[in-house]
Amino acid sequence: MEKAIKKYWPVFVLPTLLAFIIGFIWPFLWGIGLSFCQFTTVKNVTFVGIQNYIKIWADTTFLHAFWFTAAFTIVATVLINVLGFLLALLLTRHVKGTNVFRTVYFMPNLIGGVVLGYIWNTLLNGVLTLLEKPLLQLNATYGFWGLIILMCWQQIGYMMIIYIAGLQNVPPDLIEAARIDGATARQVLFRVKIPMVMPSITICTFLTLTNSFKLFDQNLSLTGGEPAKATQMLAYNIYDTFYARSGAQWKGIGQAKAVVFFLAVVVIALVQLRLTRSKEVQQ
Amino acid sequence: MKFKKMLALGLAGTMTAALLAGCSSSGNSTAASTDAAGDSAATSEAAPTAAGKVYYLNFKPEQDQQWQDLAAVYTEQTGVPVTVVTAASGEYETTLMSEMAKSDAPTLFQVNGPIGLANWKDYCYDLTGTPILGELTSDTYALKDGDATLGVGYVIESYGLITNKTLLEKAGYTIDDIKSFADLKKVAEDITARKDELGFAAFTSAGMDSSSDWRYKTHLANLPIYFEYKDEGINSTDAIKGTYLDNYKNIFDLYINNSTCAPTELAGKTADDSRNEFLANEAVFYQNGSWEYVNLTQDGTFTDDDLAMIPIYIGVGDEANQGLCTGTENYWCVNKEAPEEDIQATLDFIYWCVTSEEGTKAMADDMGFVIPFKGAQESTNLFVKEDQEMTAAGKVPVSWNFTTMPSENWKNNLGSALTAYAAGTGTWDDVVTAFVDGWATEAALNAG
Amino acid sequence: MQNSKTTRRVNTVISVVLSLLCLAYIYPIVLILLNSFKQERSITTTRVFELPTAESFVGLHNYIYGITSMDFLKSFWYSLFISVSSVVLILLCCSMCAWYITRVHGKLSTGMYYLCVFSMVVPFQMVMFTLAKTADTLKLNNPYNICIIYLGFGAGLAVFMFTGFMKSMPVEIEEAAMIDGCNPLQIFFRVVCPILKPTMISTAILETMWVWNDYLLPTLVLDIKSYRTIPMAIQYFRGSYGKVEMGPMMACIMLTVLPVVILYLICQKYIIEGVVAGAVKG
Repeated sequence: MEKAIKKYWPVFVLPTLLAFIIGFIWPFLWGIGLSFCQFTTVKNVTFVGIQNYIKIWADTTFLHAFWFTAAFTIVATVLINVLGFLLALLLTRHVKGTNVFRTVYFMPNLIGGVVLGYIWNTLLNGVLTLLEKPLLQLNATYGFWGLIILMCWQQIGYMMIIYIAGLQNVPPDLIEAARIDGATARQVLFRVKIPMVMPSITICTFLTLTNSFKLFDQNLSLTGGEPAKATQMLAYNIYDTFYARSGAQWKGIGQAKAVVFFLAVVVIALVQLRLTRSKEVQQ
Repeated sequence: MKFKKMLALGLAGTMTAALLAGCSSSGNSTAASTDAAGDSAATSEAAPTAAGKVYYLNFKPEQDQQWQDLAAVYTEQTGVPVTVVTAASGEYETTLMSEMAKSDAPTLFQVNGPIGLANWKDYCYDLTGTPILGELTSDTYALKDGDATLGVGYVIESYGLITNKTLLEKAGYTIDDIKSFADLKKVAEDITARKDELGFAAFTSAGMDSSSDWRYKTHLANLPIYFEYKDEGINSTDAIKGTYLDNYKNIFDLYINNSTCAPTELAGKTADDSRNEFLANEAVFYQNGSWEYVNLTQDGTFTDDDLAMIPIYIGVGDEANQGLCTGTENYWCVNKEAPEEDIQATLDFIYWCVTSEEGTKAMADDMGFVIPFKGAQESTNLFVKEDQEMTAAGKVPVSWNFTTMPSENWKNNLGSALTAYAAGTGTWDDVVTAFVDGWATEAALNAG
Repeated sequence: MQNSKTTRRVNTVISVVLSLLCLAYIYPIVLILLNSFKQERSITTTRVFELPTAESFVGLHNYIYGITSMDFLKSFWYSLFISVSSVVLILLCCSMCAWYITRVHGKLSTGMYYLCVFSMVVPFQMVMFTLAKTADTLKLNNPYNICIIYLGFGAGLAVFMFTGFMKSMPVEIEEAAMIDGCNPLQIFFRVVCPILKPTMISTAILETMWVWNDYLLPTLVLDIKSYRTIPMAIQYFRGSYGKVEMGPMMACIMLTVLPVVILYLICQKYIIEGVVAGAVKG
């Protein structure tokens, strides 16, 4: 059978492969190439070696964006997962209205990042005005927490769904057995439930980690990087360098930043993969 | 089964949407014009014509519809396809950068002055000897780089203190009582003293949100720069001295201390807040420009009799003869990289816009522009008329020197410092530092 | 007995808390809905929380204005078309590709598989400029063929999910079909596809959520002279000189959110199952 299918490769693989080359492989390789060049459009490309990579570090906004993103990613990941798990625990208690709650909490996920940003911009600025505090766009601290609130609102539901599925897969016998052995509710939670949903935790952590690290739309529409680029995250900083900074050198630098950003994402993914593998061996 | 149902639902939705989309495009001129452009692109692929085409990347979202309409008229008359695309607010540079990289790049775009030109001059067609330059009323509206004329200003705007005359009279004054900074201060402080009794404040909130802070970090900051340039007899500089920063402080203090809200609340105010306060008769003065005319009068809240624009006095120079701040930060540039016939088509189009009956009428009446060209028509914009009257009466307009501010970054830093100062968390010294030292830093960055 | 009573009491408390939380979840959307009926002047930072009053209520004015001034329905159609065509294409091509990868062992299969996994990690900013340029050169810059770009950039996740599922599919049925004289194409569409249905649904949901809401890719790739998707159109309510047309903007936000919410309410079971299935395999 393998041989028969193999003959059909132009039908099965070629369309995807071609689209893949157009939409990913070629732009990717070209992008790496351009990161060593100075250019404004593709017509005036000059090779400048690793200069772009050196200049990145002279641009303070990039480092700032890096630390801002790192802080954001950590806080968001922890908050979203803890709260998502907590909700999942509550919703697996057979409380009345569970289905309604689940439906509502998941809903924000379906709304696009740009739209979400505008919704929360209106709401949070209204609240801040009532409290006589500066607007989101004027204070980086509020901007940071605004983004966190927005991300929590959007992502908790999604993670909750995954945790619920994980919790429902914990065999009831196991919990029953633990109870009979005299385990307290807390012990059941930490010794039985959490170890049993470890795979879900890994997935959720990975999802929130990458989502937060690569965040762009929400950043653009909620704070727009204001004040003075203090709430710019990496993805937005790259976009801003590339398209909004005027001057011939910036495009190359933006492309170089993108390569660095890509490498950072790869590192996160590899570390995550390593951790997942080691957990799987244990189980 | 259920999957099929979903699919059917999706299809039904798709079809309804398609029907609706069909309806909307038949009854809408924007759609018609973009469609026309699309069609022509299709035909030009089939049979290349030498006629050329125009692709205008417009900067002002407010005038998008008017440009679409004007383009449609031109296409109808000459058969030359004109596509107008308006960049979303704050995205012009981004959109221009991304569009310029495409094969079908804009043939007509705009820069905001010498600083903006520096980035795009490699793409600007030298307009020297083109007919449109001959139509300019003054050579100052041509944007030059060395000997080459790379841009041409196409709209003149004015800004000052928009005044609600009715409220001012209620407070016992008329606009003739305000002829200097001292007068303005006296009136404003008197209104503030009687704020509760009068029921309104002197100034609308000087919001420091990014939608509004350009009124202070850019437009108001223009005045000390203007007077310093005048003293020194220069047009731009790498190192500003800040001679008149004390006056800048005085006027800014006046704004924030005689406003509809406490200075600490300004950080939370937007441009919309400020406009709405003015519309709701909550304040007498509103610093803004001639472009606001439509917003203030469109729903009949104000008529020409209620409004006036007076110069922003900061207590420097010959105040009796100071006019409004008048100038342009909108220069047309033609893309040098475009095909020959497209360049020609673009030059023809802009020439037509500023000379023909339809073009000048649309620019004056529909867009509310005053254009610095000989064929310009009388504008219906009250503030523009006032500017012309003042100039005719011998008052000297304050030119727009903020186009020589070294960078956006400089403006942003100044804005942050002003915000902190207004909120009481920063000092005026920080503002001075951002103004003077920041200028030198940014100018050095531009040079290197 | 005592125990279950306290449990019941605790559950009631939880119910109340969760209900309150529900309100907090819905509130932002309700706020936008309320404001979309107000005149522009009454949507300021100080007055957003006010309910529409006789003075500030403008009925559907914002909706009508938003729809007409922004050509919103056109944007809606483009968004819809792009989403549907891209997702259908991704489902079809990627499931076929994934089947090949799982059933045929060779350099092509392994190569494709690792490329797909790799592409999932690459952030869009890495390729945004070059991808836009490539699409422009190949004229893949209109709503009717941008799906090819989406297939290229979105193939990774889909192929990954399909292969994950197919690895557990028994090969025997397919072999039986082959003995019956089916060619690989017939086997794929008659035998494999029906089995794949649950994975198809979950992949479809994940990809739709991505494509429908995507902002940056269409902004850079689409020919903006003629086409705007919804996320792009919403940006246009902000004017120069700091004016934001809040009323129409809120109206259009509602028009964007409502269909999605309604669709979600109708087929929430599939969506939630799809997310779970997707996550467990991803």
